[in-house]
Amino acid sequence: MIEVHNLKKTYDVKRRQNFFHSTREKVEAVKDISMKIEAGQIVGLLGINGAGKTTTIKMLTTLIEPTSGSYMFDGMDALMNPHQVKKQINMIAGGERMIYWRLTAYENLWYYGQLYGIENNELRRRIDKLLKLVGLEDKANLPVETFSKGMKQRLQIARGMINNPKYIFLDEPTIGLDAVVTQELHEEIKNLAKEQGKGILLTSHYLSEVEELCDYIYMVNNGELVVEGTKKELTDFVFTKKYYAFSVQGMDEAVVAKLRNHLLILDGDSSVELEGRTANISSRLELSSILAEFAVREGLVINELHKLEPSLEQAVIKLSKNIEREEKGIA
Amino acid sequence: MKYFMKVLLAESYKQHRNYFNNRLIYVSLFVWPMFSFLAAYYSYRAFDFGGNIISYISTENILVFILLGYMAMSFFRSVVQSAWNFSRERQSGTLEYIYLSPANRLAVLLGNALSSVFESAVVMFIFGMLIILFNRSALNVNIVGLILVLAIFMVMALLWGVFLNACFLYSRDTDFLFTILEEPMEIFAGVKVPVVIFPGWARIISCIFPLTYVLEALRQVSLNAASISSIKTTILISLVIIMVLLGATLITIQIVEKHMRKTGNVVLF
Repeated sequence: MIEVHNLKKTYDVKRRQNFFHSTREKVEAVKDISMKIEAGQIVGLLGINGAGKTTTIKMLTTLIEPTSGSYMFDGMDALMNPHQVKKQINMIAGGERMIYWRLTAYENLWYYGQLYGIENNELRRRIDKLLKLVGLEDKANLPVETFSKGMKQRLQIARGMINNPKYIFLDEPTIGLDAVVTQELHEEIKNLAKEQGKGILLTSHYLSEVEELCDYIYMVNNGELVVEGTKKELTDFVFTKKYYAFSVQGMDEAVVAKLRNHLLILDGDSSVELEGRTANISSRLELSSILAEFAVREGLVINELHKLEPSLEQAVIKLSKNIEREEKGIA
Repeated sequence: MKYFMKVLLAESYKQHRNYFNNRLIYVSLFVWPMFSFLAAYYSYRAFDFGGNIISYISTENILVFILLGYMAMSFFRSVVQSAWNFSRERQSGTLEYIYLSPANRLAVLLGNALSSVFESAVVMFIFGMLIILFNRSALNVNIVGLILVLAIFMVMALLWGVFLNACFLYSRDTDFLFTILEEPMEIFAGVKVPVVIFPGWARIISCIFPLTYVLEALRQVSLNAASISSIKTTILISLVIIMVLLGATLITIQIVEKHMRKTGNVVLF
């Protein structure tokens, strides 16, 4: 298990004043982040731009040294043993960089495999398997510069698995990929975690991707952890009210007014808005049975009654807006 | 050691495939130094070498004297260029993945320099050997001394390349080293003009470049049949330089990685 506590990274940044003078200032990229990644688990790391996601990933991959905090890797102090950690991790980033364009797909994987000291026969087997896995077995001997964006990204994924890592860090892995390739990649990520027991940390701007893949999510802002939990825990944290769509035969303003009065007695914060023939209701209470009872008591035939589950995307957007308002000092 | 060699060979192969795709590159690597060599040679032809302050230079062997300088220079120039090329890995993002791996950093840098030395210098070397064979009468070689000096020369060129590689990795703003080391090395290391006729201030600059010492030794054993004992001071200085370069490289590699981890500049370009 990867376990970090109170991770902090402060950069010493030089700001040039003029040709002769420059000043130094401290920039806190990560202020305080604690998190866990267990084997077989897909963990999401969300945040708006500049939140500290990339710095956090770089610290976890040992590329950047934290200013303070602790980092335990399967019970070992990772800050004291970065070399040992490197053997068991890998990273897959989105985009077309980070591979050698003039080399073939096979040569790229062979080169990176050599950097991990993988025995030659085993490396050949692994490269064949990975190229097949990402659907590039027919393109193995073509230079990468002839590849499409999606093919380059698939090669990145194969490269990231060349050392059979125990933990994989995925930094925007599907950026710029088409829907079919993205879906295939999602299946592969799930397989890596659930079937092969790999621990995965995923950052993505595609919230639907995080929603589909992640077992647990950390949301950071301004270098600090804002909220963590499962998707449901996150949406419950953001949306304190429950939302319902309720429709009966003969639904009109009179019915809505009656319903509104009834609900306000039970929960002063509830609201009912008519949209077409459907009443959109929000309340702190569980209303399913209350609404059913209301319809029976009023002799109304229910057309529609269901609880609306807010998506992670809605939760993140709302949370981001709340944070923005707080930062601007708007009550 | 096996792991070290795997990384070294993989890096050499990668550099070869990455930078030497077009055969025309060999032409450019050869043609440019050859023209410089010819320009230097024909500039000398206007002068009479009788009573020269360097006893072993004569009208007969001046061509070989300059050619040895250019052959040696092409080795050293190639490692400077390879170090500069390697720093581009920061832009392509591949440097980040090299540092993400547990590969020995010295093996990576050595592999890069090794590839470059053989790739870049081989054409010039073949050309030089052919010219020398046609001018055998100009040679006065101490074979044992030549073998020893060539061995020292190769090790020094490689370590110079690895050291520069490490320096270029320290920061994205170290490209100026390329400008500082490229032309001045040709001028001050005595490639064209013997260092002994330099004024005092220029000789001080000459001391900075490892090529200065090993080139002098190479010329002495090739043109003056100098015995090992007569060039022992130059050899000793060269060996000291090798030790210093090795030590400085190992320390620089440590400093570079520590600096990268502190500043995060491995991803900045």
